[in-house]
Amino acid sequence: MPDEEELLEEGVVSPVQPDIQDPLLRKLLKDEPAAADTPQPQPAPLPEPGDEVDCVVIGTGAGGAPLLARLAMAGLKVVALEAGPRHAPRRDFATDEQAQAFLFWNDERLSAGKDPLSFGNNNSGTGVGGSTLHYTAYTPRVQPDDLRLRTEFGVGQDWPLGYDDLAPYYDELEWLLGISGPSPYPWGPARQRGYPLPPLPLNGAAQLMQRACEKLGIRTSPAANAAVSARYYQEGIGWREACTNRGFCQAGCSNGAKASMDVTFIPLAEAHGAEVRADCFVTEIERDAQGRVTGVVYQQHGQTRRQRCRTLFLCAGAVETPRLLLLNKLALSSGHVGRNLMAHPGLQLWGTFDEMVRPYKGIPGGLISEDTHRPRDADFAGGYLLQSIGVMPVTFASQVARGRGLWGAGLREYLQQYNHVAGINILGDCLPHADNYLELSDEKDSRGLPKPRVYFTNQENEQRMNAHAERTMRRIWEAAGARDIWTFPRSAHVIGTCRMGRSGDDAVVDADGRCFDVPNLYICDNSVFPSALSVNPALTIMALSLRTADRFLEQQQRRDS
Amino acid sequence: MKYPPGTVRALLESPHVSEATRAALQERLDAPPYQPQFFDADTYRLLGAVCARLLPQPDRPAGAIDLPAGIDERLHSGKADGWRYDALPPDREAYRLGLGGIQQAAQAQFGREFAALAAAEQDAVLQAVQAGTAPGDLWLKVDAPRFFEELLAEATILYYSHPLAQEEIGYVGMADLPAWTRIGLDTREDREPEEVN
Repeated sequence: MPDEEELLEEGVVSPVQPDIQDPLLRKLLKDEPAAADTPQPQPAPLPEPGDEVDCVVIGTGAGGAPLLARLAMAGLKVVALEAGPRHAPRRDFATDEQAQAFLFWNDERLSAGKDPLSFGNNNSGTGVGGSTLHYTAYTPRVQPDDLRLRTEFGVGQDWPLGYDDLAPYYDELEWLLGISGPSPYPWGPARQRGYPLPPLPLNGAAQLMQRACEKLGIRTSPAANAAVSARYYQEGIGWREACTNRGFCQAGCSNGAKASMDVTFIPLAEAHGAEVRADCFVTEIERDAQGRVTGVVYQQHGQTRRQRCRTLFLCAGAVETPRLLLLNKLALSSGHVGRNLMAHPGLQLWGTFDEMVRPYKGIPGGLISEDTHRPRDADFAGGYLLQSIGVMPVTFASQVARGRGLWGAGLREYLQQYNHVAGINILGDCLPHADNYLELSDEKDSRGLPKPRVYFTNQENEQRMNAHAERTMRRIWEAAGARDIWTFPRSAHVIGTCRMGRSGDDAVVDADGRCFDVPNLYICDNSVFPSALSVNPALTIMALSLRTADRFLEQQQRRDS
Repeated sequence: MKYPPGTVRALLESPHVSEATRAALQERLDAPPYQPQFFDADTYRLLGAVCARLLPQPDRPAGAIDLPAGIDERLHSGKADGWRYDALPPDREAYRLGLGGIQQAAQAQFGREFAALAAAEQDAVLQAVQAGTAPGDLWLKVDAPRFFEELLAEATILYYSHPLAQEEIGYVGMADLPAWTRIGLDTREDREPEEVN
């Protein structure tokens, strides 16, 4: 919207123009005194909360929270701005999927392409803790070759860092978060030490997969999950209670057993002086004449506020991070903001069993196999992992409706078997493709900001991987005794819209997360991944977050930075 | 009936359910009769007739789970679930066009309003919408299979969020206090119902 820009004050660009398109919403807003669509010819001067701080961090999920703690522990004055509210899980989190919908980023995103991505409960969160409030807590490490896809296969992208750069952070995280997992772990390089806690107990789906894979000669193991299998203590965080097997990780953990950021890095950061401001939606990133970030403007409880900072860390996820950069026309010189969008193939396969499964109990991803990390008979680049899955009833019912197209008496009859249903799924690598990207649409949301439009189509590599995975999973589920098998095509985790690389010509940030265009802007979330990886992203986002903070702090010590 | 009735309702009275969980489920059980705020009366009746085919409840002649209410309420409040098929117009418009399209298709296929058709005829109309073969020019403005998928998913979510539907499928995951200890195959805690024939 270059022609819509207005100067808020000298040197500060404010490209945000409120414009509500929905007539009913416009009518509702008109009754409010300070309606968003009322033109403000002379914007009032913005309040200045406090002085300039060392660092502002936008977003408190897996990308923002670990570095927030690290920076605070180094003695810096840091403020985190979180778009969503702060929750009291013990009191407020219900064991009810609909009641927990507040955990999801429910501002509308437009899903385009041949395989449109679902958002909301699928892969985006809001609130202090971000998407970790509803991640499944599945925390495998990458394998070293995940970071060298181009070297290995001649497609995709190598990372500008290697496994050895991440390994010390994985180790630190596994002990800080209290990950429950098998020691030794059967796949990948040998480790400095095992997991701090034994694996969580296996539920019905995990037992079925274990039984079948044993018959077929596929190795399995209880998975590494970031939920504590016993009471666990960490300095600066305190005690966390053991997991109660309530199977509700994807709709919010109510007892603090799951290592979401709100019960780990956020209290650690606050114990060291970090300030976390909830309900703060950032709309503008302000710059000086040299293009350096000077602060951010955000909305909190209907008020417009500003926070000045010396360095900005943008950690809002692979949709909101590029959206904010595009809105502010910032860091765009590479042309890669919003591009290289990837999504993990997450094909699920469901079946009905004679046994009682009761799929609502236990950690959902109980069992793992990485024997398919580089399948010998693969006709695709990369690989995938296999996991057993538990499922909450409403999620399952909606997938049956969308995926099987069942309705009427047939839908109700099928769902009567809910307690006999078990599933397995994959999590596979994805290659970047020119057709898969994010842009700003012309349609405005309730804040008056353009809704993001996300294009996604599974390309040949993803299609071949899904076909391979379907054959593998079908074999496993048949061996487990399943009948009435069906698949639910699905993509998980949006990745790669501000990728890191060695050069500002084809990447947005360097290996330290620092923007090539803006020296005091860092990005840390799944948007910086140069390739999608064949494992769930949360642990690697956190590892990058700690590494980004350490590299930044090192740079602060140097006089030649 | 595969499971005995009353399981979830009994658990809601017990200490197995947290306060927040009880409040959410009890509110649905106690929902007062609903008056539409978004749809006009005719369109709302049409939506009711459609929902009655998507999730027929012949077993609840007096107290069917009110699916149109949830849809009307959401559209009125303007709430979204975080995404929308780009192929569809905004939700309110999609529902108006899609329901109008169902009416058009009913007239074209059977010469009568959807609500006046026999159940099998209604199903034939909805099958045509789901398959993308329903007649009517409104379908030029709204992608029929995608609209059908969205409508079906929303109705299904509303239905299975209701305690009565959860009793029907033997789900008692809301009764999660204290910790579940028997989580393996063919194991059951005392508070979990057994199937009946």
